[in-house]
Amino acid sequence: MDAYGVGIGWRPEIAGFVAQLPGLRFAEVVAESVHAHGALPPGLDDLRERGVAVVPHGVKLSLGGAEPVEAARVEHLAAVADRLAAPLVSEHIAFVRAGGVEAGHLLPIPRSRAAVDAVVANVRRTQAALRVPIALEPIAAIFDWPDDELDEADFVTEILERTGALLLLDVANVYANALNRGTDPVALLDRLPLERVAYVHVAGGAEHDGIYHDTHTDAVPPAVLDLVAELCARHRPPALMLERDGDYPPADALRDELDAIAKASGYPVVT
Amino acid sequence: MRAGAGAEPGAHPDGQAGPGEERDRGTRTAAGGERNLTPRPGGGAGSLADRQAGLVAALTSGAPVPPGFDPRLIEVARVALLRKRAGEVARQWPLLAAAHGPRWAREFARWAAARPTRGSLRDGWDLARELGPALPPAAAEELAAREATMRYDGEHAPRPRRLPAVKRAGGAWAVQFAGRVRVVRR
Repeated sequence: MDAYGVGIGWRPEIAGFVAQLPGLRFAEVVAESVHAHGALPPGLDDLRERGVAVVPHGVKLSLGGAEPVEAARVEHLAAVADRLAAPLVSEHIAFVRAGGVEAGHLLPIPRSRAAVDAVVANVRRTQAALRVPIALEPIAAIFDWPDDELDEADFVTEILERTGALLLLDVANVYANALNRGTDPVALLDRLPLERVAYVHVAGGAEHDGIYHDTHTDAVPPAVLDLVAELCARHRPPALMLERDGDYPPADALRDELDAIAKASGYPVVT
Repeated sequence: MRAGAGAEPGAHPDGQAGPGEERDRGTRTAAGGERNLTPRPGGGAGSLADRQAGLVAALTSGAPVPPGFDPRLIEVARVALLRKRAGEVARQWPLLAAAHGPRWAREFARWAAARPTRGSLRDGWDLARELGPALPPAAAEELAAREATMRYDGEHAPRPRRLPAVKRAGGAWAVQFAGRVRVVRR
């Protein structure tokens, strides 16, 4: 993948702001919010015409579900990737429904051999329908399963090796998990296959009930930007993007966060 | 008042932000026997599919926390999920949320605690219908406009109305013609 630099998660609420970022070359859109064949949402079309790479980010495949991934969802993701002429797609190492009930949330799967087998099978089913690579994102988990056999680095590495998938590394998730589990986030960076990172999410969070929550509706903490710098000092990924999903701040605050990501990564500012 | 009837942009769901709008498909998933994985000795009963279902039930329906999980952390996750749903429903139904003022998140969580999400559009719609006559004027107008714009039977995903419609909610009436909505109060 080419180096795209600093990007942003495109959302309808901030489409006007995103449209006015002169240096932007990379954006991500929630795959389920895009029609596979109809018109693109206003603003997203313009980005495409400007030559901005737009990556569909799936949130509902439930790749970590014990059941086989639903064919219609996979086909939609593949069609949206075609529609956007996307260089890749992304999804999560997580499950979002079980027993016919939607969790409304990305939930962790056990870091067990059996669960690795299940997610690998679903990633392969998905890859069979895609015409571009897929990047997999490890999530922020508030709780762990009792039957974890692998640590996070071995778990992620095994899934990537067995599927050939790329890594979507969310440094805010790395930060949240390390804080909540009492582990060292930089030590995790040292054990992940950083050469497989397709792009990076940077997001904010907040503390509730003594737990750090990866909300995407709060400011990016300085500690997360420090992790961006630690990551880029080891292996700078081709793109890093701000991921904001609500409680949008004024444009100046968003611009400051994009500039802070540029500064921490050494990429040019896009604002 | 928005009269939009097309795609519902999904909120993003990493971590706390979560899967947004659910459409027609996908509310049914077979707990496929062929994918059932070996029961784990000492790791609690059942297949991975059963155990994932048990976890989702604990988080969305108040079912008991499955064995081996940290009950405190599951409770933190359950509350966070309800907080996130309240925010998503507030984005779809801003006047319904505003009608509750600072009590919105708590009131929504009480209503939603044993109701797994059917997407924020339907969650807000179901709650607004339940409140019915108790809705303050602005929230009643919001509901009336939605009723006039989309057909929703309470069981299946709402669909855009093709024909003109006149709908009432509380003291508000909404008239929809060719997709355009006008709200009137009595």
